[in-house]
Formats: sequence, structure tokens, C-alpha cells
Amino acid sequence: MTRAESLLAYVGAHHPMNLRGLEEAREVSPADWDAVAEQFLGWAAGVWGAEGWQERCIPAFVRFSSDVIFAQARYEADGHYENSSFAECNEHVYSQRDVMDDYLWGVFITNFCWSHHMELSLFFRDRFLARLPGAPAIVEIAPGHGGWGVWALSNRPDARLQGFDISPSSIAIASSIAKAAGVADRVTYTERNALDLATMPTASADAVICSFLIEHLEDPGLLVANIANLLKPGARGYLAGAITAAQVDHIYEFKTESELVVLCEQHGLRVVETLSVAPKRTLRKAQYLPRSMGLILEKAGRTT
Amino acid sequence: MSTIEQLQSVFRDVFEDDDIAISRTTTARDVAGWDSVMNVTLMISVERAFSLRFKSGNIAGLKNVGELVDLIDRLKASA
Repeated sequence: MTRAESLLAYVGAHHPMNLRGLEEAREVSPADWDAVAEQFLGWAAGVWGAEGWQERCIPAFVRFSSDVIFAQARYEADGHYENSSFAECNEHVYSQRDVMDDYLWGVFITNFCWSHHMELSLFFRDRFLARLPGAPAIVEIAPGHGGWGVWALSNRPDARLQGFDISPSSIAIASSIAKAAGVADRVTYTERNALDLATMPTASADAVICSFLIEHLEDPGLLVANIANLLKPGARGYLAGAITAAQVDHIYEFKTESELVVLCEQHGLRVVETLSVAPKRTLRKAQYLPRSMGLILEKAGRTT
Repeated sequence: MSTIEQLQSVFRDVFEDDDIAISRTTTARDVAGWDSVMNVTLMISVERAFSLRFKSGNIAGLKNVGELVDLIDRLKASA
């Protein structure tokens, strides 16, 4: 049995409410899903062992998914996200190591086990990674679990990656996944606030990746300015964000896709391509459609 | 009316099926359409019916209706 088959069997046996979602994710592209699931779960097995990955990762994914849907229901009822400041999120999530570890492994699995995130993963791979120049120097802002950057290195054996994250939990998990994936020699993770422009390199990156950080910030413009600052002229960035999609630590509420587009354009980044995706099933009588959006950006100027 | 009798009324309303009969051993496998999204719809309806408020972490680990009944009773007792 492959790990992907094992995942489906485990969820069917222990978490049947979540099986439909996995089947929807696989239906996006069965061959791709089988390959991506096998790859991501292989890394999880490299960290937690051939048996341990299921007990560690799948309940975390189930808890995270339940929490997200629950937060969306509260959002529908209240008309606003639960928290509105970094301080609140820090108290409830970021400062609690156990909560953070569980959260990160849960998010890691969503990359291919939520149908709309599976769609975004393929967009990231096929429309962004595949078009980067040779031997790209990639910077990842807030890698979190590290899955996006490690997947980038797996898809692009010629690439190197520098990751900056404020969270020690993220650095530890991303490093462990990079080691399990066999790409540790091409990645360095540094514990640093990537939004502190003064400490970050300037115009040095061939590519920047920043997935699902922007909605966690009080000032999203600062992040976009940082992406623009990091990129070489003509280089490309990948930004993913959430739109009317609640989560306990989402604080900036983007209402429309165009808000993200305009924000990037205001900071000198041309929006080359976008993909906005939504879950296949939503809450009954929901006012808001929770979306995830991927944007491929290009900094003005000529590639050197 | 007992908690499980009141809960059955909530189930019938949420799943729009007047024939649903639940017991403490009922699980998601026994009710057509009881997936992760409907589970949250169900829990929000339970909150309204019993005038209580779940924490999100309360609900992900519930294995059957019996555990939900026990949780409702605990929350009502501590209110």
C-alpha cells in the first residue's frame, strides 16, 4: 500500500467526516495527487517514522480543518474575523509551542488534502516554479511548515533557498522536513522577522515565495513592500492569500481578489497571473465564499 | 426532554430528514451527508438549541453521539 492509499484508508477508518474532502482533492488531478501526496507524506514519514506519521499528522490535519470551518461559521455569524491583532493571535497560537506544532503539521497536509489548495499547489508548480530562470536563488518569507519551499527545491534541483521565519517552531519543522526531503544542503532557515526591511537583503532574489502570511498581518502592505525589495529587477514572486476565509489567526480581511492585486501594483509589482480557488463544499446558506488566491508577480525592470 | 431527544430534533432539522433516529453509538457513518462541513453546521445548531458555546477544539475529537451528549451535559452543568 502506498502512503497516499494508507492516508485514505486511515481517514476512512478514523475520521470518516473528512474522507469526502480528501476524495475531492484527489479528483482535482488523480495522478498529480497520488504523486504529491506520496512526496509530502514521505517527508512526514522521514520526520516521524514509517508508522508515526499517521498518528502525528492526520489528527492534526483533522483538528486544523475543523477549526477552520468552525472559524468560518463564527465569521458568518459575526461578520468579522475573530481576532484583529497580532497580539491576540500571539496569545492564542504563536506563543504556544504545542499548539503551533500541531497547527503547522495540520497546515502541511492541507497543501494536497484540501481540493482548492491542491489546485493552488499545481498552479505554483506549473505556472511559477517551472518558469523560473536557471539555478534560481529563492527567498521564502515565513515558510511556516516549510512544505512550499521544500517542494520548490524538490521540483527544481538547480535551486537554492533562504527562508526567514519569526517562529522557532517553524524553523524546527521546516528544517526537519528539508532534511527528510534530502534538500537540506540547498536551504538555510533563519529565525528573523522577515518584515523588518532593514535586516533583509535587497534586490538579491531570483524568486520570492510567500504563502498564506499576508492575511495574518495587521499591515499587509509591509509584506508586499518587502517582496518588492527582495526581488531582482524582472524577477518573479509567488504570493498566496486568503479572501473572506476565516481562521483563528487571520486578522486582515481581504474581501475581494482585486484588493490583493491593487496592493501588489501599488508596490511596483506587476501581476502576471492569478488563480482564485474555493472549497467544493461550503457552509449552508453562507454569505461568504472562502477563497485562496495565488498571484504570480514580477518586479519592474529587466532581468540581469 | 432528555439531551439525546432534543439532539435528535436538531439532527432532523440540520439533515432535513424526519426519519433520522440517533443513539449514543451513532457515528458519521450512520447519517448520510454528515461530513466535516455539515458537522460544523450541526454544532452551530446544537449551540443554538442548547444555548451554549463550543470551543473549536471541543468538537474535532468527538467520536459518536454519546460523546456529544456528554459534552453538552458538561457544558450545561458548568454554565
